[in-house]
Amino acid sequence: MSKPAERINMGDAKKQAISMIRSYDGPPVRIMEVCGTHTHELFRLGVRGILPEQVTLISGPGCPVCVTPPDFIDAAVWLALEKQVTITTFGDLVRVPGSRDSLASARGKGAKVEVVYSPQDACTYAKEHPEEDVVFLSVGFETTTPSSCLALEQAEREKISNFSLLTANKTMPEAYKMLQGSADIFLYPGHVNAIAGNAVCQQLCRQGISGVVTGFTAAEIVTAIAIALSKFKEGKPFFVNAYPRVVKDEGSPAAQALTDKYLEPCDTIWRGLGEIPGSGLRLKEEYASFDAYRRYAIPKMEGKTSPLCRCGEVLQGKCRPVDCKVFGKGCTPEHPIGACMVSGEGACSAYYQYGGVIK
Amino acid sequence: MCVGLPARVVNVKDGRAVVDASGAQKEISAQLLEDLEPGDYVMIHAGTAIAKIGSDDEEETAGLLDALL
Amino acid sequence: MNDRVSLAHGAGGKQTAELIDKVFKAHFSNPLFTADDAAVFPVEAGKMAFSTDGFIVSPAFFPGGNIGKLSICGTVNDLACMGAEPLYLTCAFVIEEGFPMDKLEEVAASMEKTAAEAGVKIVAGDTKVAGKGQVDGLFITTAGIGRIRDGVSTSGAFAKPGDAVIVSGDIGRHGCTILLARDEFGIDAQVTSDCAPLWGTVKAMTDATQDIHVIRDATRGGVGTVLYEVAEQSGAGIRLFAEDIPVQDSVKGVCGMLGLEPLYLACEGRLVIIAPKEHAQELVDVLKQCPYSQDAAIIGEVTGDMPGRVTMVTELGTETILSRPTGELLPRIC
Repeated sequence: MSKPAERINMGDAKKQAISMIRSYDGPPVRIMEVCGTHTHELFRLGVRGILPEQVTLISGPGCPVCVTPPDFIDAAVWLALEKQVTITTFGDLVRVPGSRDSLASARGKGAKVEVVYSPQDACTYAKEHPEEDVVFLSVGFETTTPSSCLALEQAEREKISNFSLLTANKTMPEAYKMLQGSADIFLYPGHVNAIAGNAVCQQLCRQGISGVVTGFTAAEIVTAIAIALSKFKEGKPFFVNAYPRVVKDEGSPAAQALTDKYLEPCDTIWRGLGEIPGSGLRLKEEYASFDAYRRYAIPKMEGKTSPLCRCGEVLQGKCRPVDCKVFGKGCTPEHPIGACMVSGEGACSAYYQYGGVIK
Repeated sequence: MCVGLPARVVNVKDGRAVVDASGAQKEISAQLLEDLEPGDYVMIHAGTAIAKIGSDDEEETAGLLDALL
Repeated sequence: MNDRVSLAHGAGGKQTAELIDKVFKAHFSNPLFTADDAAVFPVEAGKMAFSTDGFIVSPAFFPGGNIGKLSICGTVNDLACMGAEPLYLTCAFVIEEGFPMDKLEEVAASMEKTAAEAGVKIVAGDTKVAGKGQVDGLFITTAGIGRIRDGVSTSGAFAKPGDAVIVSGDIGRHGCTILLARDEFGIDAQVTSDCAPLWGTVKAMTDATQDIHVIRDATRGGVGTVLYEVAEQSGAGIRLFAEDIPVQDSVKGVCGMLGLEPLYLACEGRLVIIAPKEHAQELVDVLKQCPYSQDAAIIGEVTGDMPGRVTMVTELGTETILSRPTGELLPRIC
């Protein structure tokens, strides 16, 4: 039987990067992939299978679903069941557990939940259903937030008054500071940097925190790891943009301006990490009519998580999913207890689905 | 955190663009990018074109690795 | 006759008789089609296979077929997978009040056409009409009986290390077609359902060799679900080669947009065949000569390495576990 590797026709760059990674002979190093999409791809591609022993990958908190606290889900469920609001959402959030209900289980109790492809599709849904009150669950990081703002712009322009946002948008800079020390190198999320630019990463580098921003194809991921290892051996802090075909230093000024127009920084709670000052975004006062919190006077929610769940430590790279008592027992993708098991990007879900890695 | 999909621009009108990814077409927002033209490649996230794509990933990574050696 | 189905059509009186005569008898007519309480037919000696399946699909009409064609293919293919030549089918309709008569006629016509192609006779039927809103348009349940070819014996439990895993064509088209036909996400793509009756395909394969361990049709849960079922039934491991799995470009594009895995999209005309490696190429050659399997390919092998698991050799040459499907397919965006 042929060895799997011999059957694969690989591009030269991939081959070269893999060979550089395999031959890494530097000191032990921990690399944190910040972005959940990277976590997912690293598992799907079996990247751990090419890493030398002294290289450890840690899954970071960059999955908007995983870091969204349960009281956000509770608020959405409350809106749907108590205020008969139509909830529009990305598919990712539907199965996330709240204190009692997820949106999926609330649907069984009569909640109207529409899965949409984009925030603007949610706004268009509101336009086409003027008799319904429509709320979009606005989660996401720098990459996703401008899309929510485009939906607001559409609602303003077309005077769609039955549309509002329940915001839980987050930004990365403060989170990086909190995570420093969890890893030696960050793999930065390419699509966050495509919007926000590289300034924050360059600043972190000047403070001694190394990282490589990378894309999401197999070639890009292995190349970024090869670059990270090669630079790490040199012993000096570094920042490399390994995704210049999409990421420019300045990011997307248009997207930044749009976000600044509608939203302002606020303190926010990350599921598992607790409150990180200045790492959230909320609607500015002049757009209060689009703010579901104010519009529906949503009461304080319970926001209860299971005491057994260790998602918080998993998100900080302090423990592995398999170290959690409920992992794979009480907590599975079919019946998730913690958010990291819900999202396809969550570290627990990825560990569970891919069941470890075969070398 | 941010699944992206590379796609080719088919047409652009009034801040909206139809893009094509391997034969699947969808209308998305093109408001964040100026001067988009049919034939351009863009990165799509949550129904919005967030960046123009400069080159192919194999080509770019080959260049980056060469620069290391 | 009225242009829509009414509750009276299901009441068992004159209008019911009229509906049966004008729509069903007109299309399903054959000497065995019964006017009595049950169909009567002779049975040859040997083993028979017997199967049933219920069909609800929204929308009922889609590129490449409709619920009628699907209801024949589904049961015909279940029988074929056991190596059985489909002989007789029954069909039961539950029709929503107000369903357009011409649409019902269209469904019956495609059932007639598909049954004729599969060489199977519809011998009994039943019609009920449910009140508006009690069913979604039209539900069909078919049951079928077929004679198993001598010497053919297939089961998911028979997969053995050293076997090859073959699919009879590109995967995920039916699921993708239905997703697009529902038009929930505003995506356009040229994809038609792979829905097809596959007895001819199984016959051609079993003419070539009867040394086939597993034949399964990949329906609702797609090829990935079938492979996990086989791995569990047989206690063997299955190793797939990611780049050998045939997927149409436009299906890849749609999956890319919605973050879906083609291995878990439904098929309605695709077989998963597991047979000793020495027959694999011959079987693929035979499949390529058949009308619905020109894109057949060897996509993997059965191993003793990872009992009960399905693994995938990736584009990096590493091997990972194929993630299992988790309930409802929800598009992944962030």
